[in-house]
Amino acid sequence: MGTQKPFLAIDGVSKAFGGIQALYQVSFDVQERHIHALIGPNGAGKTTLFNVISGAFPPDEGSIRLDGTDIQGCPMHELVRLGIARTFQNVELFAGMSVLENVLVGCHSRTRCGLIGAMARWPWVVREERRARQRAMELLDMVGLADSAHKRAVDLPFGWQRLVEIARALAAEPKLLLLDEPAAGLNAVETEKLSRLIQHIRASGITVLLVEHDMNLTMDISDRIVVLDRGRKLAEGTPREIQSSDAVMEAYLGKKQ
Amino acid sequence: MSSRARLYSTGIFALGIVAVGLGVSNPYEQQLLTIIGIHTLLALGLNMLMGYAGQISLGHAAFFGLGAYGTGIFTTHFQWSPWASLPVVLVTSCLVGYAIGRPILRLSGYYLAMGTLGLGIIAHVIFREWDTFTGGASGLVGIPPLVVGRLVLGLGRTGFFAVWATVVLFFVLCGRLVDSRIGRALRALGDSPGAAAASGIHTAHLKAVIFSFSAVMAALAGYLYAHLLGFISPSSFDFLMSIRMVTMVVIGGMASIWGSLLGASVITLLPEWLHVFSDYEMMAYGLILMVVMIFLPQGLTRGVLDAFQRARTLRGAASS
Ligand SMILES: Nc1ncnc2c1ncn2[C@@H]1O[C@H](COP(=O)(O)OP(=O)(O)OP(=O)(O)O)[C@@H](O)[C@H]1O
Ligand SMILES: [Mg+2]
Repeated sequence: MGTQKPFLAIDGVSKAFGGIQALYQVSFDVQERHIHALIGPNGAGKTTLFNVISGAFPPDEGSIRLDGTDIQGCPMHELVRLGIARTFQNVELFAGMSVLENVLVGCHSRTRCGLIGAMARWPWVVREERRARQRAMELLDMVGLADSAHKRAVDLPFGWQRLVEIARALAAEPKLLLLDEPAAGLNAVETEKLSRLIQHIRASGITVLLVEHDMNLTMDISDRIVVLDRGRKLAEGTPREIQSSDAVMEAYLGKKQ
Repeated sequence: MSSRARLYSTGIFALGIVAVGLGVSNPYEQQLLTIIGIHTLLALGLNMLMGYAGQISLGHAAFFGLGAYGTGIFTTHFQWSPWASLPVVLVTSCLVGYAIGRPILRLSGYYLAMGTLGLGIIAHVIFREWDTFTGGASGLVGIPPLVVGRLVLGLGRTGFFAVWATVVLFFVLCGRLVDSRIGRALRALGDSPGAAAASGIHTAHLKAVIFSFSAVMAALAGYLYAHLLGFISPSSFDFLMSIRMVTMVVIGGMASIWGSLLGASVITLLPEWLHVFSDYEMMAYGLILMVVMIFLPQGLTRGVLDAFQRARTLRGAASS
């Protein structure tokens, strides 16, 4: 495994907010087509790392390489084009739009029609729109929400909204998908479906970086796990190694006095 | 709205305009209707920015004035044909709109309101003070009318049709825009800028593009206004005009194409019908904005539709 070129290389990334060191010199590699989990207690810096990778803000120091290219300073929309898509911990769907439209927004980076094209409705624009709709419906079918395509996204149950977000992220045809606590608020049946969905996504060639508190799910589907605690990388390894690590147990169950 | 519903409603609207245009022969009413049309263009353009992309502008009279003074100066000082100045005015407002929009729309909320307010004030000062070209406070006179073949477009029936044909054209264009990749991106931006950016939307560029589009529409309205009236003065492009535009959008309803028509009608007709209104115009707009925002935040169009829907649901529930 060490010989393989990493798909995502996170190298010495730090980020502070005022006095809070949200990330401190975090380094790890993610291999292509892996499901790589990022776990850690509340406030460990998991979402902050997602924000840094997806370009919401730059790290104070350190570098991030995607498929060999340094993506430092790339604006968000450019990173989406390069193949990074994400979901949000607190589901951020477009409230005024239908489920289908939400997913169509995800197609933005893979379609080209501009302001003039939209008003002129050239034949290629009509074709592009039709293809995008078809693709969006396929994705909704994949996450099991094709029947709700025309409902308002925010009227769906919370668990389904997470699925809409995943479909929207997939519409950008990412190479790397960042999922921030996708199982939060899901019941056991839904979590089981989500588990299969994530494995299906990986099987289609997408690398998944997963933040998740549901340990059964994480241990079940991850190839590798990184543990963060108060901004630092505490441990890294296979699910088995992590489960048997004292340091991790301490971070989760509290320090022995 | 589905594209078919949009097509039908636009068709009916166009027929309605033809009927009104042929039916109304009182010059005062024709003039009033023409002004409503010009205001509808202003409201529609601003609604694309405010209602869809969620970005406010308290200085859009600047672009209304840019169109009017631009063509006024070209056609009076330089004796251009109005048709030659049309593309120049539109391209200029497009470029100026983008160039101003790109930096100013990095601001948001109160700061954006203040920034655009400043833009409107600066533009108004230029219109008023640069007398060599703009004629200063007394205005610019002798702007030639538009001529099509042997038809001279004045404030009567001809002007009515010129303006309302433009309105119908832009209803179609904006309708298409709203139902497109760009329209969705605009609404996404209005709903959640963070998620929009994470979906691959270049938000800074898109904001500037729609600001520029609304600037072009305002400039086109200004162009028509200048050539139909033949006379312009800075007071038509002041802060109050910007507020009027915002009020039209808010009354008609954010993100509502038809609402722009309603908002423009209300704001044009109110001062005509209630003469006391003219003395307290500013106060009245303030009051209207407050009342609408508190009771019908979706605007009149949506508010009334919602009330209608509720009444129907209630009646349905009662009868079953
Ligand atoms: N934008 C921000 N501004 C200020 N502080 C922030 C910001 N984002 C995160 N933080 C702080 O950084 C630390 C790490 O937060 P982060 O959201 O990354 O944790 P997390 O691991 O995702 O936790 P959780 O499991 O609760 O989601 C926290 O102390 C948080 O308060
Ligand atoms: Mg988090």
